[in-house]
Amino acid sequence: MTDSAELQKDLARVALGDRAAFARVYQATSAHLFGVALRILSRRDVAEDVLQEAFVSVWHHAGSYQAASGQPMTWMISIVRNKALDVVRSASVRHETAMPMTADGAEIEVQDERPSPLQLLTQATEAMAIRGCMEALDASHRQCLALAYYQGMSHSEVAAHMRAPLGSVKAWVRRGLERLKKCMENSQ
Amino acid sequence: MNYNRADLLDRLASEYVLGTLHGAARRRFEKVLIESAAARAAVHGWERRFSSLAASVPPVEPPLRVWTATEARIASAASVAVGRGSHRSWWSSFWKPALGFAFGAALTIALVQLMPGAFVSLDELAQREQALPQSYVGLLLDREGLPTLLISSTRHGTRVTVKSLRPVTVPAGKVAQIWALPKDGAAFPIGVAVPAKPPGSTSFEMSATSEKLLSNVTRLAVSFENGPARAGATPSEIALIGPCVKLW
Repeated sequence: MTDSAELQKDLARVALGDRAAFARVYQATSAHLFGVALRILSRRDVAEDVLQEAFVSVWHHAGSYQAASGQPMTWMISIVRNKALDVVRSASVRHETAMPMTADGAEIEVQDERPSPLQLLTQATEAMAIRGCMEALDASHRQCLALAYYQGMSHSEVAAHMRAPLGSVKAWVRRGLERLKKCMENSQ
Repeated sequence: MNYNRADLLDRLASEYVLGTLHGAARRRFEKVLIESAAARAAVHGWERRFSSLAASVPPVEPPLRVWTATEARIASAASVAVGRGSHRSWWSSFWKPALGFAFGAALTIALVQLMPGAFVSLDELAQREQALPQSYVGLLLDREGLPTLLISSTRHGTRVTVKSLRPVTVPAGKVAQIWALPKDGAAFPIGVAVPAKPPGSTSFEMSATSEKLLSNVTRLAVSFENGPARAGATPSEIALIGPCVKLW
């Protein structure tokens, strides 16, 4: 992970139009952000476009990034995720690749060598303070959150993936988020 | 929907960050985010909570072309954003002659007004004065430095006329967004035009009078955007740019 203080300093320089600082920010964060975009978009060419858009946005808005609003990496991840979600919601990018259908419309199970969202969640939470809170969630709640967060799935996509009714998925997501917040507030 | 309720706001913020808030609801919430500090704070809270989850995603080195393309885009943007320092770019080589042209034009007008007899008859002068009211005029050049659009608006009017001197091809799915670049400060959008076939003209309305919007503006520019730019937006790649002068 990137040194947050260094990144913060470089973003402040980027806000003043320092292109060398911008190159350092790219160098330090692009692989991580590309990974995030790829999880959601699956298609490399689309993920590359999103990454490019995100960094152009970082260049323009570095001035509006406030250190008080969080870690620089958190800010940049949000930019990438929002752009990736916009793309995934406006087009059938994911369905073209990640969810091929058989002739009768059933989903083909794609052999995916990347870690599954649940594995990622486990990895992420192992070292983090939210570990206990995530573990405390019901399995279905946890899975919903992982699919939505890592793969950018909508409620209905999560429902299809889990073969569960849409209404239940919506409720699981909502309750999962509520419990996560409550638990994290208590553990602080 | 009542966005003032803290619990509802937090729920929307959580689903916004998670990504499950989508479609019209997502767009609506993005509008709320612009206006409401409470909504932004709620979103930041959830971004913080979730950020540690993103940390576990394995990094993937993007190909070099992403950096090359990104750098090319910020290079052209850098020279447009006033006060950002960099002044060397593809257009700087041609806006200077354009400025020269504008000064030349202004000087000619001044001379004509000071010594009308030396240039034109009084009748002709009277006509010219009618033809040239107090106006703001911008001459936009393309990448080769060729005069392409003549943008004008009377001093106290809101209607802007865009006369095509050369054809402008707007890429499919894009709009020609016109920007004002003040002497100091960031570029701001003033309107969208559909350039006519030369030598035709088109026009659009600005939100306020030229005097109000353009009195500190030294340059105008056109970029091709996916849709009309909102206040606070910045231009992507500049296609046309040139000086904006007061004609009085």
